[in-house]
Amino acid sequence: MMYNGKELIKELSLAFGPSGCEDGVRELIKSQIDGVCDEMYCDRAGNLIAVVHGQGIDYDLAVNSPDRRPDRVMICAHMDEVGFMITDVTDAGYLKFGTVGGIDPRVLCGRPVCVGDENSRVSGVIASKAIHLQSREERGKSTPINKMYIDIGAKDGEDARKYADIGSFGTFVSDFVSFGKDGKYMKGKALDDRCGCALMIELMRAIKDKPFDRSFDLYFAFTRCEEIGVSGATVAANSIQPSTAIILESTAVADIAGVDKSRRVAELGEGGAISLADRSTIYDMAIVNFALGVAEKYGIKCQVKKYVSGGNDAGNVQRCGVGVTPLALSMPTRYLHSASNVSCYDDYVAMRELVEAMLRDWRFYK
Amino acid sequence: MLNTIKTLTAVRAISGREKAVSDKLLKLIAPHVDNVRSDAMGSLIAFKKGTGKDGERKSRMLCAHMDEIGFLVTFIDDNGYLRIAPIGGINFVAATYSLVEFANGTKGILVPESGTAPADLRAEKFYIDIGAKDKKEAEKKVKIGDYCAVEGRVERLAGKRIAGRPLDDRIGCAMLIKIAEALKEAPCEDDVYFVFSVQEEVGIRGARTAAYGIDPDSALCFDITGTGDAIGSKPMACSVGGGAAIKIKDASVICDVEITEQLISLAKEKGIKYQCEILLHGGTDTASIQASRAGVRAGAISVPTRYIHSGFEMLDLNDVQAGISLTLAWLGAK
Repeated sequence: MMYNGKELIKELSLAFGPSGCEDGVRELIKSQIDGVCDEMYCDRAGNLIAVVHGQGIDYDLAVNSPDRRPDRVMICAHMDEVGFMITDVTDAGYLKFGTVGGIDPRVLCGRPVCVGDENSRVSGVIASKAIHLQSREERGKSTPINKMYIDIGAKDGEDARKYADIGSFGTFVSDFVSFGKDGKYMKGKALDDRCGCALMIELMRAIKDKPFDRSFDLYFAFTRCEEIGVSGATVAANSIQPSTAIILESTAVADIAGVDKSRRVAELGEGGAISLADRSTIYDMAIVNFALGVAEKYGIKCQVKKYVSGGNDAGNVQRCGVGVTPLALSMPTRYLHSASNVSCYDDYVAMRELVEAMLRDWRFYK
Repeated sequence: MLNTIKTLTAVRAISGREKAVSDKLLKLIAPHVDNVRSDAMGSLIAFKKGTGKDGERKSRMLCAHMDEIGFLVTFIDDNGYLRIAPIGGINFVAATYSLVEFANGTKGILVPESGTAPADLRAEKFYIDIGAKDKKEAEKKVKIGDYCAVEGRVERLAGKRIAGRPLDDRIGCAMLIKIAEALKEAPCEDDVYFVFSVQEEVGIRGARTAAYGIDPDSALCFDITGTGDAIGSKPMACSVGGGAAIKIKDASVICDVEITEQLISLAKEKGIKYQCEILLHGGTDTASIQASRAGVRAGAISVPTRYIHSGFEMLDLNDVQAGISLTLAWLGAK
């Protein structure tokens, strides 16, 4: 089954893929890019790499010259999401857990989750001691994760272990919902960074449908383990050795009530956010200006990320080998790392158009 | 020497935006080397071929970072004030009410919000006043994403001591220029790469890709180091005027023992004043170079400096000269 647009984002959002357990997401992506790339492989770190060769006279010259490979441009998004790992099973059949990636413990209590191995995945609920049983001190504080547990309705420890033993993964369970005017806002889990994955899939299809001359090979890297800092993208960049990398990400926005304008990061509905600097990377102005110029030329919405915060794979990618020029283009997303990410579908479309227009106009950059 | 330092400190080159100083360094080093190139991150790499036979020459990398700490404009408010994010480890106490410079010549004052307690001095509490009457006028001079830094200057103090900024690490850059000049007169057998690295101040980033591209046999870094000789300093057996500081370790690296011992015995043999440096806090490019590819033998010669990352970093030119002499001895310059 091929999905498009919002349907594709929905299917990707619903897929199970905490860092280290991205198989389900990878299989879904594979099924969606079948026939729209020239090569597809998994590297040893588990990243899914799809290659789309260049075409045209300049590309042929580069291929046929004895000492030169064609230039390579990498586009990447991470497949993984924040989630949980089961660390212990109590005799009564409750599951103790830790988070995979950074999750604020205050967003956890009462959340539906699903846990367990692929063949025995079950629903559960994150729970903690009821308010009337808490001491005065406990009531004043948020419950720490080591005092919470997941209830999967097991009758005892032995029963629970059949479904979700120590070491098995979990994610939030969260419906994908369209809401707001014309349903343009999307709510779901893992929009960070499945929107990036969806964008790459649709971009490959667009290139297949309407081919254009390019002097470079395009490497689409669907990477692993971004949320825990292990950065599958580093491995991908080291093996691909691209000159340039476009990192498709999600960024926090802080465009909400109570945040001073000078501390906002980006706004929903204003297009993809281009980073100038964050905690991991200072970006090269040549490619930033190229992206901004293309956006202006074609009237595509796009914004500059205003506040220096966060970090992503761009930092690690930049320092691979003899150096890679990275561009980070992020989907403005509210409530990151919770069960309910909120983004705007218009921003997704604008980002997709911008990346495609940049690739078509690449000769003006290089 | 002082003229070279003045030339190099006159332009702003904040991490990630090093072009202005890179252009100056290119002009200064080009006459003394065989070729010069930049890598993808922007580090400037100059190459001087050695006099040894093909196949017998080793490659040696000398590295100093050309970036400095500064500020990034993140927001312009209706009154024309600029909000900023720090680039590198800014000492906000030292930077309060300083004059800052932009690449296009715009100047402004770095001001804390009125009533901010000294303990609360951090980036969010500061703004830059460029004298604009409103947002519209400010946006004619500055836009979001522009960089600025505290003004550069160098003053002579008593004896051979100088103070100013950013001596971290234009002093290392100046040392490389002087070493390249000296090698023209008295060449060495090995190939020498002079690397002016980018983005050291934000996490020793540029030296990594430079070292990967060069793949040297050994490397020396040139940077400043802290001292234990100011009032209230933590104990550290390193002082301004105490000689070239041979790095044993800092928080990022343990230097190659063979190189360290070579440097110490050369200093003794040639009568070059030296001291051993053990810096407990702070890292240098040495670490990135050492861990590049399959590993590189790496050491460092530092210039002991007081008041690091303030508007007036202070050092002694005698220590700088000792570092240059020691490096030439290490390279085996004839």
